[in-house]
Amino acid sequence: MFFRKRNRETQLDAELRFHIESMTEANIAAGMSPEEARRQAMIEFGGREQIKEELRDVRRIAIVDSTLANVKSAVRFMRKSPSFALTVILTLALGIGANSAVFSAIDAILLRPLPFPNGDRLMRLDQSNRKAAAAAPFVAPVRLADWDRMNSTFQAISGYYEQNESETTGPFPEKLTRAFVAPRFLQVMGVAPALGRDFIPDEEHFGGSSAVLISDRFWRARFNGDPNAVGRVLRVSGYSNTIVGVMPASFRFPDRDVDLWSAVPFDAPYAQNRESTWFIVVGRLKPGVSVPQAQADLTTVQSRLGREFPKPDADLAAGIVPLKETTVGGTRRSLWVLYGSVSLLLLIACTNIAALLLSRATQRHHEIAIRFSLGASRSSVVLQLLSEAFGLALVGAGLGLAVATGTSRVFRILAKDLPRIEEIGLNWRLVFYTLACVIAATLLCALVPAIRATRRGLSGSLSQASRTQVSSRNPLQLALVGVQVALAVALLSGAGLLLRSFQVLGQVSPGFDASHILTFRISGGYGETADMKGLKQRIDRTLDSVRAVPGVEAAATSSDLPGVPDSYAPELNLIEGGSDPARKIVAESRFVSPGYFATMRIPMLSGEDCRETAGPAGVLVNRSFADAYLSGTTAIGRHLAETGNSFLPPGEIRGIAGDARETGINVAPVPTVYWCFSAPGPDPNFLVRTHGDPAGMAQTIRRKIHEIEPARSVFDVMPLEQHLSDAFAENRMRTILLTFFALTAIALASLGLYGTLGYFVTVRRRETGLRIALGAMRGEILRHFLLQGLGISLLGCIAGLGLAAAFTRMLSGMLYGVSPTDATTLLGVILLVIAVAAVASLAPSIRAARVDPMQVLREE
Amino acid sequence: MPTDKSDLLQGTLDMLVLKVVALGPVHGYGISQRIRQISKEVLQVQQGSLYPALHRLEKRGWLEAEWGESENGREARFYKLSARGRKQLAAEETNWRRLAEAVGLILETAR
Repeated sequence: MFFRKRNRETQLDAELRFHIESMTEANIAAGMSPEEARRQAMIEFGGREQIKEELRDVRRIAIVDSTLANVKSAVRFMRKSPSFALTVILTLALGIGANSAVFSAIDAILLRPLPFPNGDRLMRLDQSNRKAAAAAPFVAPVRLADWDRMNSTFQAISGYYEQNESETTGPFPEKLTRAFVAPRFLQVMGVAPALGRDFIPDEEHFGGSSAVLISDRFWRARFNGDPNAVGRVLRVSGYSNTIVGVMPASFRFPDRDVDLWSAVPFDAPYAQNRESTWFIVVGRLKPGVSVPQAQADLTTVQSRLGREFPKPDADLAAGIVPLKETTVGGTRRSLWVLYGSVSLLLLIACTNIAALLLSRATQRHHEIAIRFSLGASRSSVVLQLLSEAFGLALVGAGLGLAVATGTSRVFRILAKDLPRIEEIGLNWRLVFYTLACVIAATLLCALVPAIRATRRGLSGSLSQASRTQVSSRNPLQLALVGVQVALAVALLSGAGLLLRSFQVLGQVSPGFDASHILTFRISGGYGETADMKGLKQRIDRTLDSVRAVPGVEAAATSSDLPGVPDSYAPELNLIEGGSDPARKIVAESRFVSPGYFATMRIPMLSGEDCRETAGPAGVLVNRSFADAYLSGTTAIGRHLAETGNSFLPPGEIRGIAGDARETGINVAPVPTVYWCFSAPGPDPNFLVRTHGDPAGMAQTIRRKIHEIEPARSVFDVMPLEQHLSDAFAENRMRTILLTFFALTAIALASLGLYGTLGYFVTVRRRETGLRIALGAMRGEILRHFLLQGLGISLLGCIAGLGLAAAFTRMLSGMLYGVSPTDATTLLGVILLVIAVAAVASLAPSIRAARVDPMQVLREE
Repeated sequence: MPTDKSDLLQGTLDMLVLKVVALGPVHGYGISQRIRQISKEVLQVQQGSLYPALHRLEKRGWLEAEWGESENGREARFYKLSARGRKQLAAEETNWRRLAEAVGLILETAR
């Protein structure tokens, strides 16, 4: 029993040692000296290691057994050639790490359901007006209640809207984001408070007690995580609210900024108007209900409502979209593009290693031949070679996984507004994915080299010493270099096009002057919109006092920030008729205060800037609007109204402004209508033109506003240029990452070229030496190798251009001002690749040209 | 890859090993000594062939191995024939005799 426990290796050793010792004893008995006896025994016994290796082969019974042996052989392999192993490990760490990193983002953002129980059953419900294309999708509380009551496919329907508030419990007003929620909100989301309770019916009634739920973040920041916070009173925007619960840390809905949730009283008298536009509606499907079924159900419900309340419900259509779509939406393509590029990168890394292994297999030729002659089967040798590569890939992937876990931080730095970014992290799915990458990478890198290395014809030539071999050309290795170059060209083309887009974008003149503009908002509630006059007076008063601050040149408000992507383009009608009465008028609509055009330095083409007037509201249109809808007529003095919007009285056109890229720097100006109205909502954007650095004025302006509005908080204080830059965060992220991947790709490809060419030079050293001895010029030798390197790179470039055409098609919607086949960019990429290839080929070629024929002949 | 030639040798060696082991538990060194002695020094088994053969036969279940003490008091691995090994030996012996007879017949006739 004792012996059995010893491991097999020791047993093999002991068995063979016993044999040698017995032979030694026999020799001694025959009259030899002990040393001589032992020596003879060793000689007669032969290669102990070889026998052991063969016994190990015999012993490789079960898969587990052989795997273990192969792992051991992989470890031996790494120890024997550490620098080779390190190269492979680092290359794969980069390739697999980058791939897993992007996968972790894709998995968290796109693949996994939203972080709510059965998150895939959550839907967003919208209403759209058949007559007014861009009418607000927000739903009146009564209609929300009708939908919830009349449908048969949803467990529950609820909704929310957000408002920026100021909390005045402390010495200074602090900005809070509050979500006003319809009844059943937590039921729909499927989340319960971590502390305390959900709203009770009394808190959802008009005149009932006012209660709030607070977010985990706010609870920690404001109450230091004190469990006794439940029951405390919070003063928000002048009203007292009792905290009834704290939500779990993972619950950040509607967005990550939310601090409070309050219930909206659906029975309030002001909540009964079917035309009010309040809620973003969310609903939870019953189990087993499909999206089309729910859509059909909702359509039926809405048409019933249309018959019951022809105005306005007959014009409305209800639609549903999975909530995940609306959360994740735009990032999808960026992420898949990045995933495509890291996959190409991994392919390059594998190709690189395959070429390395091919060179190495030739060196290990002898070792493999011995194993064959000892009776190892081809499959066992292939398996051994594969497991060596697998071992390296595994170590590389371990490093790569460490890189991948650091990724969420990179994503957070590069694009802080990416949705669901806090869900990115290390998890089992990522580990399994990485393992899958390891297996794929192993097969990609090592299968072909292993099969080639174990070819009978090749391995049979045990007797043939490699040193007498004359050049053996190896087209496969060259082809692999070509593949790497081609893939790198595709990636570089993509990165080049994105960079060019950025460059073009930087030169675009937006039609307004974003420099020296400070923006901010002041908290305010929708309740204030009941008294529009008072609201307007408040905003105008604030504007006046800001204008009086020394260092301020001009100030205005706007419903939307100029140049920050956001669009509201309803249908309009000209009271007196347009130039073409049959043509529908659709235009971007914005609300701006007097002085907006002077503040933004948008030129007036005719008429005048917005100003205070009695009578109908003033309207300005831009040149595109005038050209499209009013050409050949006098614009000024006509009246415009928004179709289907009973809240907005018609306005009189007072002037025509120059075109400005209001809806995004990368979007050409569209027909735009500016309504001269400083207070379209409780918290419009303030735009302040300063003489000096806008950020430097922030404190002064903040203090000034605190003087006149001590109960309101000022938030989102930042230069307009910062907003414009943030608007391109995702664009910038993919450009930076793709550029990084592309540069890594070309670095890997040039290393591959350098390594392979260097290997050729080594293999053909004798031949080269002989040629020099026979009178070949060193320049010829240099040129020969250099041209070999450049030739394959050029072929790679040509193939790469084909690949790039496919790859850059994915980018088409992300480019600005360059076509996917932009000649300058592609030419630049080719020149860069050829230059890098020339540098990579030069060193080995020079080495070849320096071969000393005398030394080569001596070695022979 | 074993060639046809080594296959034949291997098969023969396996039979010889089984036969020697059939005489009683014996270690590897003992097997090589006995083959040499019995064949009057005609057959010499290389260790490089013997041990792989032993381990192969063990793996096939024809031999059983266990550690024990050798005649000079050392630890040695002793092999003995299993029931399946005994059957296999009988089959191989029959086979060999038939083959030898056939070869003998041909040699006789050709004389």
